[in-house]
Amino acid sequence: MLEIEGLSKRFGGIVVADNIDLVLRPARILGLIGPNGAGKTSLFNLISGIYPPNGGTVVLDGKALDGLALHERARRGLARTWQHVRLFPSLSVIDNLIIGARHYPAESLVTLLFGPGRIRSAAKAARAKAHDILQRIGLPHAAEKSVGDLPYGQQKLVGVARALMNDARCLLLDEPMAGVEGQAYEAMQMIVREVAASGVAVCVVEHNVAFIRDLCDEAVFMFQGRILARGSIAELIANPELTELYFGH
Amino acid sequence: MDYVYSIVILIGLFVILASSFNLIIGYGGLISIAHPIFYGLGAYTSALLARDLGLPVPLSILAGVLFAMLLSVAMALPALRISGDYLLIASIGFQLGMIELIKNLRFTGGASGVSGIPAFVVPTFGRGLYVALVVGVALAVVLLVRWIAHSDYGRAISAMRDDEQAFAALGRDAKWIKVSIFALGSAIAGLAGALYAHYFRFVTSEQFEILMSSTILTMVVVGGLKTPWGPVLGAILLQVLPQAITFLNLPPVILGPLQGLLFTGLVLIFMFLRPGGLVRADDTWRATRHGGG
Repeated sequence: MLEIEGLSKRFGGIVVADNIDLVLRPARILGLIGPNGAGKTSLFNLISGIYPPNGGTVVLDGKALDGLALHERARRGLARTWQHVRLFPSLSVIDNLIIGARHYPAESLVTLLFGPGRIRSAAKAARAKAHDILQRIGLPHAAEKSVGDLPYGQQKLVGVARALMNDARCLLLDEPMAGVEGQAYEAMQMIVREVAASGVAVCVVEHNVAFIRDLCDEAVFMFQGRILARGSIAELIANPELTELYFGH
Repeated sequence: MDYVYSIVILIGLFVILASSFNLIIGYGGLISIAHPIFYGLGAYTSALLARDLGLPVPLSILAGVLFAMLLSVAMALPALRISGDYLLIASIGFQLGMIELIKNLRFTGGASGVSGIPAFVVPTFGRGLYVALVVGVALAVVLLVRWIAHSDYGRAISAMRDDEQAFAALGRDAKWIKVSIFALGSAIAGLAGALYAHYFRFVTSEQFEILMSSTILTMVVVGGLKTPWGPVLGAILLQVLPQAITFLNLPPVILGPLQGLLFTGLVLIFMFLRPGGLVRADDTWRATRHGGG
């Protein structure tokens, strides 16, 4: 469970997060909606440790993440994706996934030089897991391809797949459906549901209201760095004030 | 014959320098211009320990390597805590500062340098074996860099170079990877320096000035960044060509500038005709058969 309390962030006079309280529960999918500039991605950046907050705390499974760097938070079980995919272009699809493995001892030059056996077994396990995930998202054939050769929708899927390699307890998905359609759309829905069903707390920032409606257990509406409303997506859409803020009419 | 030996040794040493610099700047994506000073630190440390303290040469070489590595970590760690850009700034300061220190300290011989450095291998086994030693070390360094680049560690380096933030978001610690690459590259430069010192038996600060960075960088870029064999070709080409034109029997007034123009000309030619260098790097990282899983 991820608990956010009083999280605040200002950039000069611009407030991107204003005293935000939020709880992401295991096996639940929370949708985060709001117009552009509402502070949704900024909230992800605060939770994952890219921005240091001006105030507030982030607690994952009872342990505070405050003050921890991006990679330390990921090691504690926090995974995220990016609005613009951000795959590693010099790696193949399978290598993009392997690099995200929870246990990747080849990160240390000392281990590479003095513990090659450990690295070999971990790499073998990571490769098997990566193939399994690619199978689940319907991209087993793409394993050895360069990520740049994939259509954008499939790149988005690989981005989510990479985040899943971490065995995270909490998954933050930043606009996973932007530019995704057809089979990739269905595969994305399926994989997010599967992940949540396995006990992971999932939070989705998304402009695709249909995707949020079909997928999320509940949703929050953000505007100017604040959470204005919480409830089911149907309740939020039915609120004319929120609709006006979102769509401008 | 001694002339040929010296040329081959210099080529071997520049292969070591270019390959280790390629590890830092090519594979690691870390911009530093301090490579010559780590070369110099290895040379001075080994020379002084062997000459003044009577340390056996193999041990003094090892000390030179370790000292270069230690100082590289001391320099890189604070800079890389902030960002890679600071490494460039720190490397400029370190390179210039250390050269001034070497020039002005009494025990380093000041501007006169260090002479009378104990020879290694040559008195007992002859120059040929020293050539074989340097060529062997150069080959080992090239294979080491190739192995690292295509190992599971190399996969991590590639990912880090592509997108450091996305890499860190996967739980990977980019800072230690960068420090490790920098330390290893610098240690190898220190090894080249120590090998230089015990063959030519004289070192002076002028040999490790900041301009040498451009020489090594040219070798790497002309040869091919992010390729194991590119810097080898670059080092051979840029060592052999200046020597070759000395056989043209041109007057010194032409020969001097011509050698200088050669480097600039080669860089310009490669920039327009073959920007990837003599050996082109693959766009996609691949594990070697025994390198990565």
